[in-house]
Amino acid sequence: MSESGLATGSESRSDARRLRNVAARALIATANPPRSTGADLSALIVRVAENHDRLAFTALFEHFAPRVKSYLLRLGAPPEAAEELAQEALLTVWRRAPSYDPNKAAASTWIFTIARNLRIDLARRESRPALTPDATEVADAPEQPDQSVCVAQDEILIAEAIRRLPADQAQVVKLAFFADKAHSEIADELGLPLGTVKSRLRLAMGRLRTALTGITA
Amino acid sequence: MSPKHHPPEEILIDYATGALDLHARLVVAGHVGVCPLCRRDVDVLNAVGGTLVAELPPVALADDALPRALARIERPQPAQAARLKPPGDWIRVPEPVLAAAERHRRWAAPGVWVAPVTGRPGRARSYLLGIAAGMKVPRHTHRGTEFVCVLKGAYVDQDQRHAPGDFALNDDSVVHQPTITGDSECVCLISATNRLVPRDWVGALFQPFVGI
Repeated sequence: MSESGLATGSESRSDARRLRNVAARALIATANPPRSTGADLSALIVRVAENHDRLAFTALFEHFAPRVKSYLLRLGAPPEAAEELAQEALLTVWRRAPSYDPNKAAASTWIFTIARNLRIDLARRESRPALTPDATEVADAPEQPDQSVCVAQDEILIAEAIRRLPADQAQVVKLAFFADKAHSEIADELGLPLGTVKSRLRLAMGRLRTALTGITA
Repeated sequence: MSPKHHPPEEILIDYATGALDLHARLVVAGHVGVCPLCRRDVDVLNAVGGTLVAELPPVALADDALPRALARIERPQPAQAARLKPPGDWIRVPEPVLAAAERHRRWAAPGVWVAPVTGRPGRARSYLLGIAAGMKVPRHTHRGTEFVCVLKGAYVDQDQRHAPGDFALNDDSVVHQPTITGDSECVCLISATNRLVPRDWVGALFQPFVGI
């Protein structure tokens, strides 16, 4: 079956629906959803980068767009804005797929940073022209072999590290990612002294660092 | 050479979650861009964020979400603005910082230039500050919180040398008088939530000109 043949020029709804079904079946065949493995999702991004593979993009969209929308809703975005940002995040995945390095980051990590940066940019867009999604970051430094540390890309391992955090540390970490609050505001919300929140975050950081890099510093 | 002064971990967490305001974010990005240790921590945090998002219950999209996305990817990409080239002797910084350095640099006092990057004076903002070799910044403290990242040259503050890539966090617990050291000018990227509070008459005279 020629994937590219199927996918070209498919802007009508029925074509899109057909593509969606094919993509869903392809995903079932290769990745056993709903829990697609990280490696499969990474491979889909590589297929987008190398072949402009619309089938792979469709599978990525179906997997990630509903989760990105979920993330943005949790941060307090209105539903239309969350929908639009999820669209833009996946559009950015399509455009920037060639810059994705599966050896450096899990698919979910990369797409999280895209969604987060788009959200930051959105806050700024009201007064200024749009920036590229990574305008507030500095591109990765060229390899420094003596200093480079491999951060685990296996989502199961990462999830396990999060699950192993003591409950009070896990709570502040999740609030940090989902409550749209800086650590000082989290302290207010929980009615805890700032120092307590800082020390929980630092302890959590230490555990996560050790679990994902093997470094105990 | 790797930086020696780092942001505290909770600031890296605010950076990774997106909770830092844009101004502070640019300063932390400057440090993270050249610091392997903090880069590693941010990579860990991004992986945690990605996994937490991946574990969220999916939310239904609009009915036409996929066809719309498939139509959008067919459209030509907007042209990317040409990337600005950083001055050769600066550490690498985010794009808006370079743009500001090119367009908005002005002399504020002899040997001192400022270039606003984001925000407005008197409010949360970020700016570049270049100070000639050998000069002292007037003694001052801070009403809010200030983040600093050295882009070029070095200064000494309370016996600590801050070189390119080094990060500093100053607030009202700090009354200081940083001094430029070495034989080149020192350029810093600074974010602040409020104006400086000058602590002596030289500073009081100096502030209106510098506009910080």
